[in-house]
Amino acid sequence: MSEKKMARSFYEASARERALGLVDPGTFTEFLGPRDRMVSPHLPVLGEAVEFDDGIVTGIGKLGKRPVFVISQEGRFNGGSVGEVSGAKMVGTFRAALAAYKELKQRHTEDFDEVRPVIAVSFETGGVRLHEANAGLLAHAEVMDQIQDAKGKVPVVALIGSKVGCFGGMGFVAAAMDVVIMSIRGRLGLTGPEAIEQEMGKEEFDAADKSLVYRTTGGEHKYILGDCNVLVEDSLDAFREALAVAAALPYEELASWNRIGSPEKVREQIELVKLAAELNPADSRDVWRYFGNERADEYQDMTTEEFLAAAKRREGAVGR
Amino acid sequence: MNKEPICWDTLKKDKEERLAAAEPLTEQGGKFIPAKNTKKLLEAVIRPSDRVNLEGNNQKQADFLAEKLCQVNKSKIHDLHMVQSSMTLDSHLKLFRKGIARKADFSFSGPQAGAIADMIMGNEIELGDIHTYLELFGRYFIDLMPRVSLIAAYEADRNGNLYTGFNTEDTPTIVEATHFKQGIVVAQVNKISDELPRVDIPGEWVDFIVEAPRPFYVEPLFTRDPALITDCQILRAMMAIKGIYAEYGVQTLNHGIGFDTAAIELLLPTYGEELGLKGKICTSFALNPHPTLIPAIEEGWVKNIHCFGGEVGMEEYIRARSDVFFVGHDGSLRSNRAFSQMAGHYACDMFVGGTLQIDPYGNSSTATAKRVSGFGGAPNMGCDARGRRHCSDAWLKCGEGSPTTTAATGGMPRGRKLVVQLQETFREKMAPGFVEELDAWKLKENAGLAIPPVMIYGDDVTHIVTEEGIAYLDACGSLKERTAAIRAVAGYTKVGLAADPAQTKQLRSRGIVRTPEDLGIDVSRANRELLAAKNVRDLVEWSDGLYHPPAKFRNW
Repeated sequence: MSEKKMARSFYEASARERALGLVDPGTFTEFLGPRDRMVSPHLPVLGEAVEFDDGIVTGIGKLGKRPVFVISQEGRFNGGSVGEVSGAKMVGTFRAALAAYKELKQRHTEDFDEVRPVIAVSFETGGVRLHEANAGLLAHAEVMDQIQDAKGKVPVVALIGSKVGCFGGMGFVAAAMDVVIMSIRGRLGLTGPEAIEQEMGKEEFDAADKSLVYRTTGGEHKYILGDCNVLVEDSLDAFREALAVAAALPYEELASWNRIGSPEKVREQIELVKLAAELNPADSRDVWRYFGNERADEYQDMTTEEFLAAAKRREGAVGR
Repeated sequence: MNKEPICWDTLKKDKEERLAAAEPLTEQGGKFIPAKNTKKLLEAVIRPSDRVNLEGNNQKQADFLAEKLCQVNKSKIHDLHMVQSSMTLDSHLKLFRKGIARKADFSFSGPQAGAIADMIMGNEIELGDIHTYLELFGRYFIDLMPRVSLIAAYEADRNGNLYTGFNTEDTPTIVEATHFKQGIVVAQVNKISDELPRVDIPGEWVDFIVEAPRPFYVEPLFTRDPALITDCQILRAMMAIKGIYAEYGVQTLNHGIGFDTAAIELLLPTYGEELGLKGKICTSFALNPHPTLIPAIEEGWVKNIHCFGGEVGMEEYIRARSDVFFVGHDGSLRSNRAFSQMAGHYACDMFVGGTLQIDPYGNSSTATAKRVSGFGGAPNMGCDARGRRHCSDAWLKCGEGSPTTTAATGGMPRGRKLVVQLQETFREKMAPGFVEELDAWKLKENAGLAIPPVMIYGDDVTHIVTEEGIAYLDACGSLKERTAAIRAVAGYTKVGLAADPAQTKQLRSRGIVRTPEDLGIDVSRANRELLAAKNVRDLVEWSDGLYHPPAKFRNW
């Protein structure tokens, strides 16, 4: 018990601890940190408290020679929701990464692969901040746009393993990225469990049944289906190591890790939807069993290591 | 002299009449009643204006019988006087809305606190009194004897013996008070078996048994998810462990419900270990089986726990740790609320708990202006046991330091229980934890109560712990000094801002107020890294897979 506790948990870490922990020690420089006091212009109008970083940490650090552009959301401020300022900080970081790409590409003709930048987004969010929904939605669209601009240039990596999970519009954004790294404690989806229960009723989805919530939206399910490429232990070190591996992948291989981005990928997704309709599963475990996981009932009580050794993934699920 | 003959056994005769009225509803004249006959049974054995006990507390509930009681014919049964531990279910209130019940004497209302306040104000409930568990139990034997009690058990055998096991809780007390005063006991059971794991209630004390169509409801009220513990709670836990537990060497104690005490439990194997306190503090508890105590048990801190009730998911763990808990020959826990309350009152050196509001006199209350939440058991633990005569080091040390209490008895040596309140200066939504006047006063007016509902009275409180510091109220020489010490730890609340800095300084120099710095605590270490378990899954690991948390806590 005690040994494992020594590793610093990714789940427990704040946005800033994650940002610092995802790069080499001492290399992180924050963009628009709390001292700059770039706060939401909308929250005060509604009588709500602001944060000096608007609930997001952006900046640059290094993994070896490679610059890492980090975006890290803080779930403890308004559920990590994306507003005008936090959204602009995300978009600005993407732009900075693409500018760096351009410059490094020119300067490093011999060893570009070693210095090719990477964008790492540590998600902890329910999506749009409802207090400033228009600006928040716009930010979602702009980030999507940036992801497309980055294709074939800068790898974009999603890291999901924090308390709030990654939901709402940001669930789409994460799915559109090159690589999705999760821990079994990470959760990824569109509509949050409570919203599903509210709309469809407790019979359809009991949000208080946390185990059900996890096996529907959690890392294990996403790993088996292939929505998550790499499943890691819940530690900052494990996420950083997986990020370093993804950042060094040749671009052709990265493209094969994508969930969307080519007609074949889209066809594959459509097949999956068809399969879901045919199977009509009552529970994620039915899906797991369909893909050959006979011990599905035991998975949720396994450690990450045990699960990875036992789990069989959908054919077409790519990653390490 | 002509004397009217006095009948001395009216209760017995009345009971016989009622039993006879129920006879046609039984299966072959026995105690067993088909579930479909339950409503008719209640109509046969209950009379208008009866005092009726509906078993239920903050853990198990006789919920099937409660619902059936709501369905009785109001022209046959009305104006009941409900005497029961908790009024927490919708059905408990429905009885009053339908006019089946009129008056209530109870202890705890939890989630129904707002609705009950409304109903008292709207004259839908005639309020008798709000009690602590133990005093309500006492009144069951003196002036609130139940005529009919509706109780819950896991299993019954063919002779009517009951197995209440893990959740024995209030049952023995209710049955004793009812049966031996010629009252009628009706039990709902989850199933009828040929053989019971053990007998908790002898069959001859039970008049009727109904096999309910679904198991009785149990609330996992004492499970605290370590994932929700804040750094501030951890700081207070460090302060309490170092400044009170260690300082007085407290071995026997009770922890109130809440995240503050959960933090203390999870800090024993880490911070407590670091301070070398194992074996010196926290060896014996009157406590529900808190899952957050698992790491401390596993590390050998805790030698003995007596439980008020059960806690969902802890069954197998307790079975495997029978040296620590009270178990039957079958291996399952035997809880007993009355005995555990008594143990908490007389046999424990300390009570530690949290509250909503504290006033400058140290009175604390969980009442708000529009909620009648009741007391539960906390006041029985959170008060000095005036009848206590046995000595322990912690009890004597707390008594020695109390100039105001010893002065009243001419300096007669006497110990004192430590009654500790953990309080955040500002609670959720920036509600101040310290106020000049408790909302309990407003509630008294709103609900027409005789006195404001105070959970723990100021003269019982010996220590208040906030993130600002510990106020050692036991060491204060005067009432004025007490209030100054309370203000000194009340932070930026209005109560705290009224503190006189010069006096605070003087109290600190005398050790009556100690800040984290005074206690030698590095505030920067007060974070979640110190928790022995950071989430429910860690607790499961600590338990070697023996703890099975309910669905709402299975966060993985």
